[in-house]
Amino acid sequence: MARDTDLPTRRDVLKTTGAAGAVGIAGLAGCTGGGGDSGNGSGGEGGSGNGSGGGSGSDDYPALGNYPIEGDTAVLGFNVPQSGPYASEGQDELRAYELAVKHLNNGGGWVDSQFDDLSGDGVLGMEIDYVSGDTATDADTARQSAQRMIQRDNVIMITGGSSSATAIAMQELCQQEKVMFMCCLTHSNDTTGKNCVRYSFREMFNAYMTGQALAPVVTEEYGGDNEFYQLYADYSWGQTQQSSMQMFLEEAGWSQVESVPTPLGTSDYSSYLSEAANSGADVIVLNHYGLDGANSLSQAVDMGIDQDMELLVPLYNRPMAEAAGGAISGVFGTAAWDAQLDNEPSQQFTQVFNEEYERTPSGPAQLAYAQTLQYAAAVERAGTFYPPEVIKQLEDYEYDNIGMGQELMRKCDHQAQRDVPVVRGLPADQQEQGTYFEIVNVTSRDDLGYGCDEGPAAECELGSYE
Amino acid sequence: MSDETQDATAQGAAPSEGVAEKEGFAGYELDTAREPVVVGATALFVLVFPYVFARMPVVSGILQGYQGLATLMLIWGIFALGFDLLLGYTGLLSFGHAAFWGGSAYAAGVFSQFAAESLGFEAGPVIIVVVGTLFAVLLAWGLGFLSLRRGGIYFSILTLAFAQMMFYLSSAPLSGITGGENGFTAVTVGHLFGVFELESELPSVLGTLMGTWLYAFVGLMTVVSVAVAYRILNSPYGMVFRAIRENEQRTEFVGLNVWRYKLMSFVISGAFAGVAGSLFTIHGNYVPLQSLYWTESGEIVIMAVLGGAGSLFGPMLGAGIYLYFENIVSGVRDLTVPFTDIVLLQGFGEYWHLLLGVLFVLVVWFFPRGIWGLFQDLRNRVTGGDSAAETGGER
Repeated sequence: MARDTDLPTRRDVLKTTGAAGAVGIAGLAGCTGGGGDSGNGSGGEGGSGNGSGGGSGSDDYPALGNYPIEGDTAVLGFNVPQSGPYASEGQDELRAYELAVKHLNNGGGWVDSQFDDLSGDGVLGMEIDYVSGDTATDADTARQSAQRMIQRDNVIMITGGSSSATAIAMQELCQQEKVMFMCCLTHSNDTTGKNCVRYSFREMFNAYMTGQALAPVVTEEYGGDNEFYQLYADYSWGQTQQSSMQMFLEEAGWSQVESVPTPLGTSDYSSYLSEAANSGADVIVLNHYGLDGANSLSQAVDMGIDQDMELLVPLYNRPMAEAAGGAISGVFGTAAWDAQLDNEPSQQFTQVFNEEYERTPSGPAQLAYAQTLQYAAAVERAGTFYPPEVIKQLEDYEYDNIGMGQELMRKCDHQAQRDVPVVRGLPADQQEQGTYFEIVNVTSRDDLGYGCDEGPAAECELGSYE
Repeated sequence: MSDETQDATAQGAAPSEGVAEKEGFAGYELDTAREPVVVGATALFVLVFPYVFARMPVVSGILQGYQGLATLMLIWGIFALGFDLLLGYTGLLSFGHAAFWGGSAYAAGVFSQFAAESLGFEAGPVIIVVVGTLFAVLLAWGLGFLSLRRGGIYFSILTLAFAQMMFYLSSAPLSGITGGENGFTAVTVGHLFGVFELESELPSVLGTLMGTWLYAFVGLMTVVSVAVAYRILNSPYGMVFRAIRENEQRTEFVGLNVWRYKLMSFVISGAFAGVAGSLFTIHGNYVPLQSLYWTESGEIVIMAVLGGAGSLFGPMLGAGIYLYFENIVSGVRDLTVPFTDIVLLQGFGEYWHLLLGVLFVLVVWFFPRGIWGLFQDLRNRVTGGDSAAETGGER
């Protein structure tokens, strides 16, 4: 798939003709303007942008992907699930993305307080605009949507996810097209493991780390000699999630009875669950996320399985807990981030998000907000939008400004090394608006993770910068 | 199949028309005479389409198109063309064409990986298409042989069942090869004819018009597909297909082996789907598991009926409209009054399924021959109605 870099790509040539030919300029006006808003009437804006196109590309880097940016507006692409089983996570991500754009252009939130690199007056003098797309929680749709953003809207960076299969599909495309991808919620080991790419960075921890964080907590709570039964969503994330859980629970002395795949988007889990209930296991691990997770968990509770077995949901978040209601009472899991975390960045973000939308942000929302600002800050530090330079700024960057303690964006696999919060669901009568679980402990990054030559990272080959 | 075919169809052609033998053959000659016009018009369209859609001043701003979608539209167009051969001309509703589309896409992808990793060369697009198509043809032969035992709804259900089996196979048991739910990512496509990089720009004015070598290649395949389909449909062989659609029993009584013609129709249709599926792999460098799912079979039916089943270009038009809704309309954030910033409806794009559904229902109610049929009716009204040749050629 490596692109022959000697030959100019389609977009390079378009840009050259755009700068040179008068007709080309008019033609590009239609392409660059428009954005998501139906295209009408935005021609003028785009046209004026093209006039100064040569000027903004004055630094000495060659054209690559959608670099240099024509005009004075940098467009970001937010590709999130707006339909499908992960739709409610996607909506919360989009809210956070819009908030990030607002803060980047006008200041506010972390832009003022946590990110010294950011000015609150655009990025490198460019105004930030965005287009959004629906991945429908489907890899093919996500890819088509990302291609539209890259080719038509000339986005300089894409972010989104909420399903590892869609994230992997998008980041592969981004590597081909040389457009940056900032993962949002993707928890599969493969994203920064065997499917890792140079152009993608992940702030979220992965299934491997969830296993590491969860195993000590549950073995202490339920005893060291249990049998467990797993159900898992049958795609990238579910597969790596179940194998990581198996690995770490068995290391802790538990034994697996069986592990059964369920299709993504299943609405009725009763047959899977009754088989699990009759297996004689002590613990059922539900490796489901989003609406699937809420469904399988509530159905398990409705069937009374929680009476004589313990339930475990390795990854959960606020919208999921909200949908599951009282069913999450006492259930252990890990969460990307939570508004209850008592540190300055977390509280600030919770407050600004609350002021804007009158609701408490979820873990995916914090990821979305953080990753957008991280990208913008890296651009400021690099002094250019030229992707390889931005990538170099992100690689091995150390930071502690997003509310998850001291972190490192590792160069060898682009996986953030960070803390993992372990949470437990609250009973229905203790749940308030926005508080569905308590934080049991925040597992330090020193007790988690793996070296660059072991675990998922061993399979990672990042690919080229250019 | 040529000699046998000639005999069989020479007998079959005249009665199927239900008119004198002479007239049947007169029509046939006239259609061949129009062939250069049809192929030429297709080539001209393919030549200017990406420019108008993605780069032309003003027009592309209104259409909001982009190069990648232009390529995808042609690819689905080929698929729809082949599907219509079965649905519109032979009168068989297959609900399992995803098997050929996705099957050939996987075959093309797996072959390219095999070539790169085991044989040590990067397979060019041409050979990838050949392999993918071959796979689809063999698959269609097998599935057709089994499914065509029954007619009507049973045939549809059988094809659906076989396609879903393929979906299941590639989702779990064969996930080691196909990548399961993650899709197949190890596609490695070499240069066209060993020289031209697919993503690179075409020289001079061709680059402005068509953009990339990839599009040129897909465009060429489209023109060839249209030419082949036109030739088949206007040959005596194609007339038998239509005869089967009109009255299967009568065709049988004339002495034709209806089952064999149906199987051939199924296989030819599968071959077109194979070409399209392989091109889809080359276009995306990726095969999604979704490509085998039943919704894909549903989409192709909708495309064909929307555009106009039983016409040469109708289904291709339908494919274009469907993809336009799926990729452009769905991405429109807010509906505004043209040339102003007044927002009429927020989150407009989310309703694209509904809009397409309404359009589909309206078309089926008012223009049963599809959007292309509407165009034909309008033209006939303007030109005075005649044109037996045209209806013979394209209906």
